[in-house]
Amino acid sequence: MQEQPQRAAATTRFSAASRQTRGGRLRRAWREYRFAYALVVPALVFMVGIHFFPMVQGVWMSFLKLNQFTLAQYLKAPWVGLQNYTDVLFNPDNPVRAGLGVAVRNTILYSIAVTIGTLVVGMCGALLMNRKFAGRGFARTTLLLPWVVPSYVVGILWGFMWQKDNGVINFLLVDVLHLTSDKPFWLIGPNTLWAIVIPTIWRSWPFLMVVFLAGLQTIPEELYEAAKIDGASVWRQFRHITLPLLRPIIAIQLLFQIIANVYSYNIVAMMFGNGAGYPGEWGDLLMTALVRQSFGYWAFGSGSAASFLLMLVMLIVVSIWYRTFRKEMMMQ
Amino acid sequence: MSTLVRKRATHNVLNVVTWLFVLANAFPILWMVWTSLHSNDEILSGVSGMATTHFQWRNYVQLWQTIHFSGYFLNSLIICGVTTILATTFAVMAGYALARYKFPGSGLFSMSVVSTQMIPGILFLIPIYLLFWQVDKSIGLPMINTYWGMILIYTAFYTPMSIWIMRSFFVSVPRDLEESALIDGCTRFQAFRRVILPLSAPGMIATAVYVFLTAWDELMFAWVMTTTSDVQTIPVGIRLYVGQYQNRFDLLMAAAAVSTLPVLVTFFLTQKYFIRGMTAGAVKG
Repeated sequence: MQEQPQRAAATTRFSAASRQTRGGRLRRAWREYRFAYALVVPALVFMVGIHFFPMVQGVWMSFLKLNQFTLAQYLKAPWVGLQNYTDVLFNPDNPVRAGLGVAVRNTILYSIAVTIGTLVVGMCGALLMNRKFAGRGFARTTLLLPWVVPSYVVGILWGFMWQKDNGVINFLLVDVLHLTSDKPFWLIGPNTLWAIVIPTIWRSWPFLMVVFLAGLQTIPEELYEAAKIDGASVWRQFRHITLPLLRPIIAIQLLFQIIANVYSYNIVAMMFGNGAGYPGEWGDLLMTALVRQSFGYWAFGSGSAASFLLMLVMLIVVSIWYRTFRKEMMMQ
Repeated sequence: MSTLVRKRATHNVLNVVTWLFVLANAFPILWMVWTSLHSNDEILSGVSGMATTHFQWRNYVQLWQTIHFSGYFLNSLIICGVTTILATTFAVMAGYALARYKFPGSGLFSMSVVSTQMIPGILFLIPIYLLFWQVDKSIGLPMINTYWGMILIYTAFYTPMSIWIMRSFFVSVPRDLEESALIDGCTRFQAFRRVILPLSAPGMIATAVYVFLTAWDELMFAWVMTTTSDVQTIPVGIRLYVGQYQNRFDLLMAAAAVSTLPVLVTFFLTQKYFIRGMTAGAVKG
């Protein structure tokens, strides 16, 4: 109780200050918040300098004619209005336009497949690991391993495992399981899509498992007990208790997955042998295509235009996501 | 069949499924290590060639001699190490401010923190490349092919997500702690430094590990912004190597294994804090 006088003094000091005039209040607000502003400044400087300023510059550059000739004086490059945008959308001779349709198709298929796959496998893993069994700690730790492996390693490693003649996957599929008689190509042709989808799921599902496990542990056991007494099956318990209660977590992870997968680069960039990044018709993603074509042909104007269009599309996707899950986000 | 027997049968089936799942999931990593212990001739003769248990460690030695791996490794360590320190520091500061104050502009600030994650990397890859180039040309300060250029970019990239992790950590620290420190006569800064900072070690570890793991994995910017092996990081080095010697899977797998090791060790040393820190943000949003 010895603190008492001090505490009283402190209270008086604060309430005296709050009774000041408008100018005093501003000054007090500044004194109150200057610490907060000082804390925020370094992060803000970096974000403005490396995120927002270059982004604005990138959008501005999408209206300029930038090629190997104008690049040296890119600040004075000629203004071409929307031509880069029409080029990217309609002009087949534009280097960024070449192969963009294929990259868009692949990115859509890849993102959907990986997002759904990661969420489903992550949920199954979480449900399996939420049971009690001998060696559970060891199993959980082992399951996390792929998540720690860098994604560029995932690209190299799976690129090696998918090899047609001496890859271990074809060995398991053909020589052990006898699913087909001929070893399929995985890194050429339509199978390429699977060759990039499956490793991505393999690498990213453990994080979802961890998050879902944390979520599962917040669900009170009584709910399941009550459901069991009512005779609800395991599937009905999952559908009517687990899924609705995990909806906010699923919503956030869905968003993170969509963004990460649409902007995915490393696995494809590493997997396709020659290092120049030519993953072929079924393996090229938007990021690999845009980086390769913009920097390969000095097509920075149309590259910026395509990137800005991609960002607009992603903003639409996110706003659809927000409309769908607004209620869940409010609950947080 | 009685219910008890059926229950036990289900349990056993699920256990078998679980362990098969665990095994299948770990298989690629085991395969990577297994392959890296074989000679290239054995590897090129397919799975049967690698069935031998005759191991050789030569790839791990050759790796450092043939492809300048030690240089790439050191570059990665320096760039990611400094980035980790800087990004974590800034994230602790800004995360604390966001968790504790509702200052004019705090809503805008936290919105811009989140929105940075929405911008596709390539949209600022081109401008930053030209900007760095311009800085070099106009004031003679080299930015491309320098450690600080890479550190600058990476720090900016990983700070926003780190702010978010630290913010959700600070939200879970009771407010009363600083309040009583203030009443005891501390200034805000002293309360932050003496009371909050020591308490925030677990959150800082989680953030630092996140930054290190993500920076270690970055390829796209490193690929464009570095052209000499003095500053190139491991992913860039390996990618160049893949282009030159496509069929040296022995060295490739050894390189893959060695470059996984630092993050693996970091992760397992800090697993407890890291997972708690990452899920706190993810579960609470």
